Amino acid sequence: MQRHTRLVFASTLLLAGIAAGAIAQAQEPKRGGVLRMYQRDNPPSASIHEGATFSVNAPFMSVYNNLVRYDTTKAEDTLDTVIPDLATKWSWSADNKALTFTLAPGVKWHDGKPFTSADVKCTMDLVQGKAQDRLRTNPRKSLYDNVLEVVPNGPLEVTFKLGRPQPSLLALLASGYSPMYPCHVSAAQMRTNPIGTGPFKLAEFKQNEIIRLVRNPDYFKPGRPYLDGIELPIITNRSTAMLAFIAGKLDLTFPTEVTQQVYKDLMAQVPNAVCHMGPVNVSTNLIVNRDKPPFDNADLRRAMALTLDRKAFNTIIAEGQAKIGTTMLPKPEGDWGMPEAMMQTIVGYGPDVAKNRAEARKLMEKNGYGPDKRLAVKISTRNIAAYRDPAVILIDHLKEIYIDGELDIVETGVWFGKVARKDYSVGLNLTGNSIDDPDQSFFENYSCNSQRNVTGYCNPELEKQFVAQSQETDIVKRRAMVWEIDRQLQEDVARPIILHNSSGTCWHPEVVGFRPARNSSYNRYRFENVWLNR
Amino acid sequence: MGAYLVRRFGLMLLTLFGISVIIFALLRIVPGNIVDILFDSAGMVDPAEKARIARDLGIDLPLPQQYVAWVSGIARGDLGFSYVSEKPALAEILPRIPITAKLAGLALTFSVLIGVPLGVISAVRQNSWIDYALRVLSLSGLSLPSFWLGLLILTAFVTWTDSMPIYSDRPESLWDTLLLYSVPAAAVGFRSSALVMRLTRSSMLEVLRQDYIRTARAKGASRQSVNYRHALRNALLPVVTVIGIEAAFLIGGLIVTETVFNIPGVARFLVEAIRARDYPIVQNLVMLIAVVVVLVNFIVDMLYAALDPRIKYSG
Amino acid sequence: MAGGTYQAELSRAGAGATGVWGQALFFVRSYPLGAIGAVIMAIFVLAAIFADVITAQSPLTTSARNSLAAPGGTFWMGADFMGRDVYARIVYGARISLAVGIGSTTLGCLIGVSVGLASGYLGGWFDLIVQRVMDIMQALPLLVLALVFAAALGPSLPNTIISIAIPLVPSVARVIRSNTLALRELAFVEAAQAIGMSEWRLAIRHILPNTVAPLIVLATAQLGSTILTEASLSFLGLGVPEPFPSWGRMLSESAAEYMRSAPWLVIFPGVAISLAVFGTNLLGDALRDILDPRQRG
Repeated sequence: MQRHTRLVFASTLLLAGIAAGAIAQAQEPKRGGVLRMYQRDNPPSASIHEGATFSVNAPFMSVYNNLVRYDTTKAEDTLDTVIPDLATKWSWSADNKALTFTLAPGVKWHDGKPFTSADVKCTMDLVQGKAQDRLRTNPRKSLYDNVLEVVPNGPLEVTFKLGRPQPSLLALLASGYSPMYPCHVSAAQMRTNPIGTGPFKLAEFKQNEIIRLVRNPDYFKPGRPYLDGIELPIITNRSTAMLAFIAGKLDLTFPTEVTQQVYKDLMAQVPNAVCHMGPVNVSTNLIVNRDKPPFDNADLRRAMALTLDRKAFNTIIAEGQAKIGTTMLPKPEGDWGMPEAMMQTIVGYGPDVAKNRAEARKLMEKNGYGPDKRLAVKISTRNIAAYRDPAVILIDHLKEIYIDGELDIVETGVWFGKVARKDYSVGLNLTGNSIDDPDQSFFENYSCNSQRNVTGYCNPELEKQFVAQSQETDIVKRRAMVWEIDRQLQEDVARPIILHNSSGTCWHPEVVGFRPARNSSYNRYRFENVWLNR
Repeated sequence: MGAYLVRRFGLMLLTLFGISVIIFALLRIVPGNIVDILFDSAGMVDPAEKARIARDLGIDLPLPQQYVAWVSGIARGDLGFSYVSEKPALAEILPRIPITAKLAGLALTFSVLIGVPLGVISAVRQNSWIDYALRVLSLSGLSLPSFWLGLLILTAFVTWTDSMPIYSDRPESLWDTLLLYSVPAAAVGFRSSALVMRLTRSSMLEVLRQDYIRTARAKGASRQSVNYRHALRNALLPVVTVIGIEAAFLIGGLIVTETVFNIPGVARFLVEAIRARDYPIVQNLVMLIAVVVVLVNFIVDMLYAALDPRIKYSG
Repeated sequence: MAGGTYQAELSRAGAGATGVWGQALFFVRSYPLGAIGAVIMAIFVLAAIFADVITAQSPLTTSARNSLAAPGGTFWMGADFMGRDVYARIVYGARISLAVGIGSTTLGCLIGVSVGLASGYLGGWFDLIVQRVMDIMQALPLLVLALVFAAALGPSLPNTIISIAIPLVPSVARVIRSNTLALRELAFVEAAQAIGMSEWRLAIRHILPNTVAPLIVLATAQLGSTILTEASLSFLGLGVPEPFPSWGRMLSESAAEYMRSAPWLVIFPGVAISLAVFGTNLLGDALRDILDPRQRG
């Protein structure tokens, strides 16, 4: 009951905030001022194409432009909210296998050189690994496997030729992960001294100290940006950062860093702060090494899926505010979340935890385990609270089914290498999705040859369905296909999703025009329409 | 004296050489290297690319070759490149030195200003209630972890002033600067002052037991005059050496305090660099710390030798 | 100082105090601070030994219902974010702190004693090289050296013990070496040599026992700093990993996050660290006064 009240309270506040924003919006935007946000960690580089965390997008997205972007005045980032950025318009060919963009004229890179269709080709070649120059790391290469060729037609037009129809390509290109890079600047320079076309230029990047962005006076969108600059001191201790926000030293928190608990504290201290709380499209999940004993045994994997008490995870980690769902972000925020009734039928999702666990114990007993013969397992996880906390709860739940888990804390620097080598038995993992789209999610995390597929789950039959849904242009049919794939992934215990995290971003009411999406945390950091009302 | 200086200087160089070897060797047995870190930060890279990254960073070379490259680089003032920022390590380290130096200077001042007078009082009034109280105070000072003290100060600061010092390299006013440094400096300095107080007290007691003090007392010099004109002057000499000990002690405190207060000095940078497996930064920072500690101790030794007429050095 | 053992000193100073109780009483009267330290240490040691008897909750059991429960009732020191009992974690944390404190002090002393004895007794080139290595190690602050070792070895309980033990070696080795040098010149050693006792036997039978007093003083003094170093390492995330409840780690990250909404998460572990270190320091001071009168304050 109390929780319910809080939820209503939170939504009311959000509405009030948006209403206040709307009133302010009605007023003429003010030019000038420096937006003070903070950065939660030292970003690995300024090159977004080499990044796989929004620790790179948030500070540097405003240095660049995309071909297309998401409309930041809308609630969600979906195919329907894609609007022009560098491309003024776009069109699909009749067979849906060619996508042509018309580019805005007179756009200049920060160093004064003109932006042309050649740069689009250079960027795509770089991401696809076809260019001479190489990205040091290239996490999203596999997303563009369907792009056969990028053909410039004159300086202001460019066509993407595809192997098969792929409506989601436009959504991928609109994500914060898809900026345009110049041909004439090396991939190495983009890491430290990036040249973009965006509304802000990188003025200073002091490691572990501060990132400073200044207004690009030659920005191609007239009158934009409103701000003179953005400052992001790097504050790794969240409580220090929140205190600075409370004290008014910061205008905006780092995205999604406001947990439910922090939110309560903030609201008590700065009641007029505007907060957006909700799903962030990052799921907490279990990765199970299905190639190595004992979990090469399907019974044991199933037993683990059955013992998860998702509600308990939710209560502790997010005060019940997180979403329980499958691979795709659940409704209503998610576009592809499966119906509740369908989800209830999946292994481990049934509401009766005691019954599930009884079934799990039977499976364990069938394989020779019991109260006197318990299974000892190492639970590997990354040395970050968001990973460690649920891992501790997981150990508690495994105790119920004769499994004694011991935490194996892995330093951030070693974590991915270890997981990629499959040097783990059971791991607790977080998976972020830049956009709410099945292509991104399925191909990146579950296709046989994707390097982001850390569990090594490989089901060629299902993969055919990945392709089938990808080229389906009828959204209703596609949705049904996606649900079926998602259900199958959960039944196979490919990577049991524990929950979809929920947290938030807060800002002082002077910040106008910033609005996080309900279904992604990766795409809304261009800041060209943000202004300060003071 | 000259020969002693030369010998002592030679030893110092030898020590620094040894440190460089130990640090270099230690960092090479760290599990998980920078390539894995990049792997992680990006989510993934092509395994084939991994070798290329290693080559780009020069960490595929044989270890002795890497070591020689580093040490000869130091001689030329070239500290290599940070793996993380890809900027010259020197450019990353240099701007952080003044920040930590200011903090250390303030903390040292704080600790001497508080520690020496209290240490003297405690010695002069040995075994009185005030001596007991001060000894308990100094011991508790040594027992409080400085990061906890820092956290408590921060909490109190925010609760009472509704504001908090947050680091900025362009502080708005002198008051901001002072506030920024003095709060963490007090957190570090409190612990150090406890150390100074203890050392001052025991050195003062030692002096008070000396024959010439007894003689002065016997000759009828006033208690005040004996304590402050004769004893304190002589007791302060060993206190100079405290600064040598302090150098090492302060750095330990600064590491955690800079982390708590989010001050981008060299001490916090060391922790960040260790986490990121940024060898060029770590090895150079540890070297820098060693140089500072060794040099301070060298200077203190020289000062001591020059000031204390009782000590003769044969070389 | 060389020949003084604890009991001998006590009975000499106690002038007539007889029996264990008499001596204890004398100790309390003449070293009240030391006695307080001893009591504090005894409490921590007992808490560590009987952790499972004096706590009702497990320090590891999470509970959704009790997340951030305020002190009082079942959780008289409150509960942390994951609903784990702070009191139980502090009591079990004493095990970790003492394990690291005693473990690394013992290990450091063992290595230091062997190195110091060998160095002082053998002399020559060996001594020279060992002294240079000790110089090198002493040039780095305890925490810096421990940090580098901890990072090199990876976070685990044994590695933390090793990381903290190694920086302790030089000071122990120094004291033992200088004592050995001094003792070598003494008459009873010469006498033993004259009757043909082997060098190693001599060192172990005669020289070692005579360095016990300064060693105890040094070890007690170091115990506090090892506990502090462990707390700092864990605070920085490079010490004892989860699920072991370590005081230092209780203070890092999540605790710091709730310093306003759940201050008990910051206060109690900090008090535990400070008290434990304070206890060892008080006791260490008193022991120094008793066993090493030259430094008596």
